Amino acid sequence: MAVEAALAAGASYADARVVHRRSQHVSTKNGRVENVRDVESEGIGVRVLVGGAWGFACDRRLSDAGARSAATRATGFARAAAGPHDRRLAPLAAKSGVYRTPLARDPFSVGLAEKVDHCLRAEQALAHADVKVTQAFVRAQREHKFLVSSEGSDVEQELVECGGGIDALAARDGVFQIRSYPSAHGGSSAQAGWEHLDALGLEREAPRVGEQAAALLRADECPAGVTTVVLDAEQLALQVHESVGHPTELDRVYGTEASYAGTSFLKPGDLGSLRYGSEHMNVTADATTPGGLGTFAFDDEGVEADREPIVERGLLRGFLSSRETSARIGAGRGGSMRADGWSRMPLVRMSNLHLEPGEGSLEELIAGVDDGVYLETNKSWSIDDKRLNFQFGTQIAWEIKGGRLGRMLREATYTGITPFFWGALDAVAGRHEWKLFGLTNCGKGQPGQSAHVSHGAAPARFLNVQIGVRA
Amino acid sequence: MSSATDVAGRALEAARGEEAEAVAVAELSGLARFAASEVHQPTLIENTVVTLRVVRDGKVGWASTNRVEDDGLRDLATRAAEAADSARPDETFPGLAPPEPLPAIEGYDEATAELGAGEQARLAATAIEAATRYPVYGFFTSGVTEIAVASSNGLTGEQRLTDATALVIAAGEGASGYAEGTSWAADRVDPAAVAREADEKAARTLEARAVDPGHYRAVLEPYAFAELLQYFAYDSFGGQGLLEERSYLCGRIGERVFDSKISIADDALDPRGLPKAFDFEGSPKQRVELVTDGVPRGVVWDRETAAQTADGAVPTGHAPPLLLRDYGPLPFALSVAGGEAQSVEELAELVGDGIYVTRLHYLSIVDPREGVITGMTRDGTFRIRDGRIAEPLVNLRFTVSVPELLADVPGLTREPTLVNQSDFYGERFPFGVLTPAIATARFNVSGSGSAPGI
Repeated sequence: MAVEAALAAGASYADARVVHRRSQHVSTKNGRVENVRDVESEGIGVRVLVGGAWGFACDRRLSDAGARSAATRATGFARAAAGPHDRRLAPLAAKSGVYRTPLARDPFSVGLAEKVDHCLRAEQALAHADVKVTQAFVRAQREHKFLVSSEGSDVEQELVECGGGIDALAARDGVFQIRSYPSAHGGSSAQAGWEHLDALGLEREAPRVGEQAAALLRADECPAGVTTVVLDAEQLALQVHESVGHPTELDRVYGTEASYAGTSFLKPGDLGSLRYGSEHMNVTADATTPGGLGTFAFDDEGVEADREPIVERGLLRGFLSSRETSARIGAGRGGSMRADGWSRMPLVRMSNLHLEPGEGSLEELIAGVDDGVYLETNKSWSIDDKRLNFQFGTQIAWEIKGGRLGRMLREATYTGITPFFWGALDAVAGRHEWKLFGLTNCGKGQPGQSAHVSHGAAPARFLNVQIGVRA
Repeated sequence: MSSATDVAGRALEAARGEEAEAVAVAELSGLARFAASEVHQPTLIENTVVTLRVVRDGKVGWASTNRVEDDGLRDLATRAAEAADSARPDETFPGLAPPEPLPAIEGYDEATAELGAGEQARLAATAIEAATRYPVYGFFTSGVTEIAVASSNGLTGEQRLTDATALVIAAGEGASGYAEGTSWAADRVDPAAVAREADEKAARTLEARAVDPGHYRAVLEPYAFAELLQYFAYDSFGGQGLLEERSYLCGRIGERVFDSKISIADDALDPRGLPKAFDFEGSPKQRVELVTDGVPRGVVWDRETAAQTADGAVPTGHAPPLLLRDYGPLPFALSVAGGEAQSVEELAELVGDGIYVTRLHYLSIVDPREGVITGMTRDGTFRIRDGRIAEPLVNLRFTVSVPELLADVPGLTREPTLVNQSDFYGERFPFGVLTPAIATARFNVSGSGSAPGI
């Protein structure tokens, strides 16, 4: 209905996405139930090309009237859009298909009361002297969506996510510290069922998290200097996200994200020639990763999921792209277009972007350092608009002396310039240290959109890194 | 667009017999986003979301939906009741807000509410055409938002808000400048003037140089200071940050810790901002003095966090929307008192030798308790020499202690500017910071980044 209405209104291309999203979020804090919420949203989003110009409109009503209204308003907005407009799409063979996240135990079959119990048990295990706040949360999301296009795409997908996390906040004598598991800023999620929560073992890990939060209050501050740094897989996941994922988004390369998230230090002509990092650096975009938050059968333009190299042995080999940006650069086929629900236009987004493993263990990485620091779990993150100058802080660190971990350090930060930093990548640990982290807070676009993405990484070692940035 | 008041009332009716509160938000908006002087992401949104909070035997649960027909609201009531049943009794729950008189506010403009897609596209085109030197990147947006609340306590409230923002980055190879304008009345936002300001600023940024890391005196335009202050406020000016001992104000309320020229309030009633009459539990908005003459006076509260204090804090009308509940009450209408300077040039004279910052990018909180924040400058960073704004600089990484930045303030400009702080995630909730430009004796540059430009 929507696509037909858009074509009738003069669109040369149209696609319509119907999305129903339901999410549950349960959180507890200091033994008190903070949140038990069950949120749903549904609607239709219609995207059109009229005279080479994009238009997008949406309507919450899943009815003929809602579909027609969105289509008509989208075509009207496209006609009114300023500019010369000559937007073309890379060719796509129309596909039909159905995809559903494989689940062992549907997280919506787990009652809210059981979710509350899970949080309270984990939180109780965080308790420790000097820990002022203990908190735990679990989340579940089901997104059922349909895509049809004027080129014949007809896709149904049901993506289910589950995740959670715990935090201990310690304070004493004017010092405040936080420790989290399995990840900071919203735990870690996966496209999976409740089995993912069980595997996280929040209650099992909680005593260590609480103890470390309290111990950080008495730890020395991370010293300043240039040294060898070993990053844990969680921090490395965010490093990959910020300094490889975003700069390789082709819409940023072409400047269309300039007014918000920024652009990229990469140029279209860098493909195949730019040295991004050392020979140890291999980064892959993989929308087929089991459990990845960016896993799908088709992206939101109907392009089939694939696994593609982005950086091979340190050389830039690929961009994350849409059909439009692929046509513009004359390479690729798209496959990275994702929208935040029904009320936003698809954008070039990461799906699952991984730092491929190397060899050996974390212990062996550390053993190879005479003098350096080991950093674990992100605390702060910032990077410039072209994704060159970054500064990260971690919740906890340890000095490395003579190949062994030494004293605990707090307020650890490190900073660098993207290609120099990756050029100093000395080693990546092996497959058995490789972990998948699912982030739910990747922001982009105007109006803003949050994307859920996953990154796999193993701990890695970098040489000559500036640490200990102070105010 | 559905009537928020009608939807809130019908949601409460669907939960008849329960102790319940319904908050509905209806949005009709358009955003014409452009890049390289061409509209490329035009988005029209129409949505109505209602959130129902149900209290059963001291247990509290929430559910929300945008299926606002009768069957959707019946499901909503069922899901909210199930959520409540799944919780545990909460002895600290202060109960739903009682009915109170709500303040009369401005903040709604019929002409802005009636702006359609054609006008929104035309106003974006006005910005695009006004920039003569460089291609432009940004957007024009306007929208109307209705917020309504109804509860089994007999509380009812409704407000209609309009907002309009023009944001422009003018950028070419090695040059970029930024400007924006925000108001609740679109006729007070001049997209052409915004574009010209960005275009002129960009022309001054060519051949930017780096500077050595170190402590500098600095002038921050309102765009820059607004964002820095909003980030500082997330931990330090909210009741939850104080309770959790991550606020810089812990143990410092009543002590002079900032320059005496610094006075900061949260004032959603100010017609120069983006006014609101009540919060997301229906409590009336109050002006809250956060800092007066350099002395912290307090933070903002909602009913839940106020009830957890030992000294009986009073709710100030700052309950957040459902999806921000984890952050507790936050100030979304920060207002900084002006100073004596007539212009940013006068502030540069006060600084003498230092850095001039137009705006910031990608802030992150390094140490909440000490108010340490890092980020980058962007789209207009300059050296100040001999009291004048001088040569352009590359984008600088800064790592600053906000309290130190506020401890020695040579001056502020007289007139505040409203700076938009909404990135329009989720349901539309326009908010901004009303602030003048500020001069500081301490701005720590910790590194250099990319050059200006695209």
